[in-house]
Amino acid sequence: MTVTLATLTRRTGLTVLDHLEQSVRIPVVDGLQAQGDLIVIPLTMLAGSVRAALHTAWRPVPPAGVELLRGEAGGNPHTLVADPGTCLWTTQVADPDHLAIGMFEARAAVYLLHPEHGGTGCAPGTYVVRRQREREGPRMRLVAD
Amino acid sequence: MQREAAAIRETWLGKALSTRPAGRPAAEAAISGLYRLIGLPPPRFHWVSSPAKGLATVPPGTRAWESIDRLTEWPVPRRLSTLAATLRHELDARLRPRGRPFDQIVRRTTYFPLQRSVTSTLVPPLNAAHESPVHRRTWYDTLSVAWIAEYDALRRAAGAVFTGEQRRLLALWTAATTSCGWWWPREDTCVVSERPVALHTEVWGENGEVRPHREDGPAVRYADGWDLHAWHGMPVPAWVITDPSVRRIADEPNVEVRRCAIEHMGWPAYVDQAGLRLVATAPDPGNPGCELRLYDMRAGTRVLLAVNGSQERDGHRRRYGLTVPAFDDPIAAAGWTYGLSAEHYSLLQRRT
Repeated sequence: MTVTLATLTRRTGLTVLDHLEQSVRIPVVDGLQAQGDLIVIPLTMLAGSVRAALHTAWRPVPPAGVELLRGEAGGNPHTLVADPGTCLWTTQVADPDHLAIGMFEARAAVYLLHPEHGGTGCAPGTYVVRRQREREGPRMRLVAD
Repeated sequence: MQREAAAIRETWLGKALSTRPAGRPAAEAAISGLYRLIGLPPPRFHWVSSPAKGLATVPPGTRAWESIDRLTEWPVPRRLSTLAATLRHELDARLRPRGRPFDQIVRRTTYFPLQRSVTSTLVPPLNAAHESPVHRRTWYDTLSVAWIAEYDALRRAAGAVFTGEQRRLLALWTAATTSCGWWWPREDTCVVSERPVALHTEVWGENGEVRPHREDGPAVRYADGWDLHAWHGMPVPAWVITDPSVRRIADEPNVEVRRCAIEHMGWPAYVDQAGLRLVATAPDPGNPGCELRLYDMRAGTRVLLAVNGSQERDGHRRRYGLTVPAFDDPIAAAGWTYGLSAEHYSLLQRRT
């Protein structure tokens, strides 16, 4: 099935800004990809440093999707959307860089949806989701766009 | 029920952030009622136009130990806070059984968001007036509507049943906190502030939390001209909003204030006007046709100018800056922001 922004908004009830193209197929990517201040990293790339915590409770992604991160002002969320029964996710991730906010295991293509950044697809696989940081002198802060 | 509690919270938020003139008779009647409850006759009232005036006003006959810098030792605020704490304790005792998930939801939906909104919006002007952070805030917490709203929501949305006397007390506190601005109760006199005449906020939290923000003027302003400038919730000196300049940014010791001023100018304009030295450029992996540009900012810090992966409504792509450690390679700098090596970041397939 061809998945477009229109498909995802219908499925989740979430909306995106109307200047984004609604009817084009959303590309599905099997590697590293970024959506604004969020990045999706194939677990193999981080193997050895990042892993799910011991006794992690993996939860199924519900039909309405899972909010991974919400932007600060205006509160625009990055939402993970999957067909029922195709994706498990957890927030219990051990990351030495303290940037990981979650991890998901997709058995079919799953999608990240954001009101301003639109949609992007992830091929089946296990991925780590990280936030973005910046630093000025000794001060570190997490980016919130 | 959660929706109902959220609606109740919004009503209270509107009351807390009201910019209407104080209802002086209602405020004086309620405050007098509270004085009576701690065994004191009604005070003489001194109305002032702002918290700054409130702190500077010393009514005739004020005793030396009731000077504003000893506010935490004043007996009346302490006794009134105890009165409020006792009421809360008794209201909690009416909730049966204790710790129902219901009640927890109402608390999460009303008390915490309101407390955060008041703390980020109405406390900063107080801090500025006190010329030091308000560390011991018991009295100001007593005057925050958050706790009163919580019990109102528990009663109206979660079926809590309070006695007539308890409801009368809650009504008294409601009137004393929603008919006027902050107030400072001494034994014989009470200084009461008007509310701000303008308040500009933005919603930032999941539970409707607001914080002060205005791009073209003070976010909080009182009738006498006392005001507060804020950028996305961060109180800043007026120049950050009214006249951000490269020279002022260079002279500003506070990194957060600098960041607000640069964001207000816009990173591309700042990089340009500050004449930052270009260290290197590189094609942005996953973002075809776009470039990562790395500039020298100050000792040990560089700024990476990047381009959004998606278009704005008018078709252009926003440029934004990220401060990074002193890398020489823009790809290594971009990778670092996500905790990745240059080698890994160069594999980025797509950016939206």
